Amino acid sequence: MIQEKIREKARELLTNKTVDLIIGFGEGSLPLRTTPRFIRNPEKVDRLIWNSFCENNLSAYLHKLGQFKVGLVVKGCDARSVVALSLEKRFKADQLFLIGVPCQRMVDRRKVSRAVKGEILQAREAGDLIDVKGDGFEVSLKRDDFLYSSCQVCIHRNPTRTDVLVGDPVEESPLKETYQEAKAFEKMSPEERWRFFEKETSRCIRCYACREVCPMCYCAECFVDSSNPKWIEKGLSPSDLDFYHIVRAYHQTGRCSGCGACERACPMGIRLTYLTQKLTMDVKELFDFETGIDTETLPPLSTYEMEDKQEFIK
Amino acid sequence: MKNPYLPISMVVKKTNVETTDRMLRTLELSFSNEEDAKSFRFIPGQFCELSVLGKGEAPFGIASSPTENGSLKFTINKAGVVTTALHHLEEGSEVGIRGPLGNAYPIDLFKGKNVLVIGGGFAFTTLRSLIVYLLHPENRSKVNEITVIYGARMPGLLLYKEELNQWEKRSDLKLVVTVDWGDKDWKGKVGLVPNVLEEVAPTSENTYAVICGPPIMIKFTFPKLMTLRFPNERIYTSLEKRMKCGIGKCGRCNIGPLYVCKDGPVFSYARLEKLPKDY
Amino acid sequence: MDEYDLFAPVQLAEGVSVFRKIDHPDEVDLSSANTQKPAKELFFPQSEVMFRYEKVGKRNQIVSLDEENRERILFGARPCDIEAISIIEKVFVSEEYTDVYFLDKRKKTTLMGLGCNHPISTCFCSSAGGDPFLRAGSDLFFIDLGEAYFVELLTEKGMAFHQNKFFKEADPRDLTLVKELEGKAFEKVGYTIPVDGIEKRLDLMGESLFWDRVHEICMGCRICTYLCPTCHCFDIVDEGGHQRGQRVRNWDSCLSPLYSLETSGHNPRPSCRERTRQRLMHKFNYFPKNFNQVACVGCGRCILYCPVHFDIRQAILWTSSKRPKGSERGVL
Repeated sequence: MIQEKIREKARELLTNKTVDLIIGFGEGSLPLRTTPRFIRNPEKVDRLIWNSFCENNLSAYLHKLGQFKVGLVVKGCDARSVVALSLEKRFKADQLFLIGVPCQRMVDRRKVSRAVKGEILQAREAGDLIDVKGDGFEVSLKRDDFLYSSCQVCIHRNPTRTDVLVGDPVEESPLKETYQEAKAFEKMSPEERWRFFEKETSRCIRCYACREVCPMCYCAECFVDSSNPKWIEKGLSPSDLDFYHIVRAYHQTGRCSGCGACERACPMGIRLTYLTQKLTMDVKELFDFETGIDTETLPPLSTYEMEDKQEFIK
Repeated sequence: MKNPYLPISMVVKKTNVETTDRMLRTLELSFSNEEDAKSFRFIPGQFCELSVLGKGEAPFGIASSPTENGSLKFTINKAGVVTTALHHLEEGSEVGIRGPLGNAYPIDLFKGKNVLVIGGGFAFTTLRSLIVYLLHPENRSKVNEITVIYGARMPGLLLYKEELNQWEKRSDLKLVVTVDWGDKDWKGKVGLVPNVLEEVAPTSENTYAVICGPPIMIKFTFPKLMTLRFPNERIYTSLEKRMKCGIGKCGRCNIGPLYVCKDGPVFSYARLEKLPKDY
Repeated sequence: MDEYDLFAPVQLAEGVSVFRKIDHPDEVDLSSANTQKPAKELFFPQSEVMFRYEKVGKRNQIVSLDEENRERILFGARPCDIEAISIIEKVFVSEEYTDVYFLDKRKKTTLMGLGCNHPISTCFCSSAGGDPFLRAGSDLFFIDLGEAYFVELLTEKGMAFHQNKFFKEADPRDLTLVKELEGKAFEKVGYTIPVDGIEKRLDLMGESLFWDRVHEICMGCRICTYLCPTCHCFDIVDEGGHQRGQRVRNWDSCLSPLYSLETSGHNPRPSCRERTRQRLMHKFNYFPKNFNQVACVGCGRCILYCPVHFDIRQAILWTSSKRPKGSERGVL
């Protein structure tokens, strides 16, 4: 079982002092939830678990831990974020030990909660079912019906460039068409797109959770915090909300691994992955580049070549 | 009900640059309305929030003394958006003010005692307020000996140079001005403030010490005060912390359960000891 | 709705509800245990214009925006949110200075609380000094009996509704049902968290290793602060130019690295460790020192919405090294 292998590897790495610290997933205090776990003691590795609710992108913690040697549990998307970060020189190569886990696709806990009436008090994974129990109800749900949209279109479930792979590789065919959300968005007319985008961002409360959980958002001074020049106000005016989300998405161009952490973190349920997916799709089309696959090629918007297309410059 | 967030109008009467690096400028402000001028009463140590509408608001210690009637003086260090805007104001420009805010130096406790004032760099502003207040004929007799040690990095960075010259000539005040590095024109003392303090060695008996300066100066001066046997209850300082509302509502400037804007900025070291090192 | 501005929980998206001004009773959505954004935003809006200014000649003319036009009703707020409003009031309304913006809204609002028949597992109001049917703070208190609401008129403001055409005298049998519902709810919130005495325990923990561990998973977003009904820190900024503009206050969070960053570059709380310590100490140690009450009402929103599932109950438990009894285990 993957969980056992993760624990074993963690124990080995800590005992041999190959790493100072392991970051993995541990059990949450609520059903359907896990929480990132920092383990330093080889005897505590039993706190690490693995299931379909390990939804966070743990590579976001790397910015806080410059001085340690870290063993990191990564899924396919997380590993690609790590590659993207290494290209941006966010950490030294020997600082990381990647424990790769072939991803079974993560379950959208909010979708599951909405499928039942009442609070879920217990949940259990049983093969391709999720058994949930609550006050006065007990239901078995088909796991595949409740996956995150970013997981449904994923074609990089096996993490690459890892130091070890704990589990057999899984097949890469997506459940839904690749870039499905972006394509659906493209089919809308410009007015429909704007209405959809505005409706989503109108709920924004500027909590910046999307920014903080994103491994690629690590600027010492984010553009929203700049006071000189001041690009954006700090209130809730619709134009500011739109501006923030558009600019943040654009700053991800060529860097986003599509992990969906932003959307999963949002407390107001704002859809965000369709934006980054559209940009990712365009980058693939224009530059034939996919984030986090190649450890040599710089992301297209971080570099230039003399032969780059220039028709848009009038 | 009075809205404590509304600034009152003041006008810039005079502005002059204090230091040779041009980063410190003193603004002399007077109230636009008579009634505001009459009702504004403050004690040395208090601060005000100055507004440049459109840029923002920031807290500044009052550098003038309540004995200097009419206008208020603030010495502003050019560091960010608001302070830069204040530096660019011309005479006649309007400035908003909210105040007086905060607590003050414990003048009442100084009655019949000696007062030792130690200042470093730009932090000398409210100390000026205190010294001018104590030197005023009405107040001078209330305290015994006044010793002032004031240091800056270089002669050009000293504040209130003209006043310092006048004070040096007084007999009712012992003033020692020092610089870390002198220049060819400097004829005064050269030495770091903690060392000068050791040299001057004022008595700690019956004396209150007020110390304001950059963290590094305080770090090295404080042990010297200990050696001179100053107890924590008789050492006061004025803390700086990022503030916004200035009236204890926005939560920003708290140190433990206290707010620097409301319960400070003047604290005795005895009180600070019990608080977390959040400053 | 002709006389008052009525605010009630409204659904913005599936599973997301906030308090909004409603124009039609159909808009009300009481299906979730609690809204995302707490009721505090009616008295302390996320973004509020304090005053507008305009240059007239050489002087600026300042127009303060501190008056509410109409009377308001807040309907459907849970006891935790209502208790939180009085916690914020303790800071905003004091002898020396009064936050006129908050007080004006508070005075002009009638609070209609709603009892929690079905608290959820993250609720721990009973441990934080409240309970699912706490009446304190409400002007009228509603209890959902299924077919109708049982309404208690608790204050003078509440009594003004005595003659309202939708109210009729209660039946004594309704009272029994109320007691039943209360009993069930109290039982459900029985997950006792040792909030009692936490101030004293934290007094001894200023530099404890506890803080090195507590902050680890925190990513420094502001969800817990913004969705917390008692958090009340704010930022003040000027918007506009020197000709005209406004001064605005916006919610802020002590978890932001910019919060205590001084212009000199010095930051007394340089890392997440100091900031999470500040937040927890403020709620459970500093605030009680000033007001004899913890600044937490046990609503559980921070537990539900934290992206990394930081559980404040765990942190409180760690301070006392007690383990919860009868906790329901999550995923196996």
